[in-house]
Amino acid sequence: MQKVPEGLRVQLDANEADLLRGLTNEMRLVLEADIPDADPVQQRLFPRAHDDDEDEAAYQELVGSELKDVKLEALRTVERRLGSDGPLDDTLPEGEIHEWLRLINDIRLAIGTRLQVDEAKMDKQYDPDDPEAPALAVLHWLAWVQTSILEEMT
Amino acid sequence: MTQTTVAPDRTEERDTDEVVDPDKPWLVIVWNDPINLMSYVTWVFQKLFGYSLQKATKLMLEVHNEGRSVVSSGPREKAELDCFRLHAHGLWATITRSD
Repeated sequence: MQKVPEGLRVQLDANEADLLRGLTNEMRLVLEADIPDADPVQQRLFPRAHDDDEDEAAYQELVGSELKDVKLEALRTVERRLGSDGPLDDTLPEGEIHEWLRLINDIRLAIGTRLQVDEAKMDKQYDPDDPEAPALAVLHWLAWVQTSILEEMT
Repeated sequence: MTQTTVAPDRTEERDTDEVVDPDKPWLVIVWNDPINLMSYVTWVFQKLFGYSLQKATKLMLEVHNEGRSVVSSGPREKAELDCFRLHAHGLWATITRSD
């Protein structure tokens, strides 16, 4: 990641870009699937605003599908930039960087919620025998990408 | 910036006979979670509310250390819009009426 006058230069090698492509595909399934509201990932990505059921119903009526729409918009933006294969070496304009940060964060929320991470699990050393190690490694890689973007932008 | 956090349509009328003191502000609360990065949460507070780095960092640390922080307040519609924008950025936010 490197800040340039036109925005942010992002370089991902083919493996990294493919990893991100795979994750955006999974995220699309999460956002588009008809998943029950009781699903923890669904609850984390689409949290309640109000404790009170009536207030929440009125709020949901106003919001409609808008929250899902803005999440899908960020997803589409990143998908378009990633293309279908190969490495990525491109400059993101500022508005698009915002979308990247939001999408990467949503992917981290989905993975982290599925893994039921807590702060201890996030701080755990990498253990190749841990069945959750690959997913945790992805979570940390995404955190690194997110941090790298934020460090350049702030 | 492109408009990534479009406000929901606010023109519908609310069908309620509830008597609400119009001056009573609603509070927008952000709750701690183990996944969101501290740097990201700070950035979101700056970006959405125009807070200084110092103020955004203070609020982020409140969330982190105390489990929650009131990050904005105002009339119900403003609080709901702020809550929506926080949800659009993946923060765990709720609204409550101040007592």
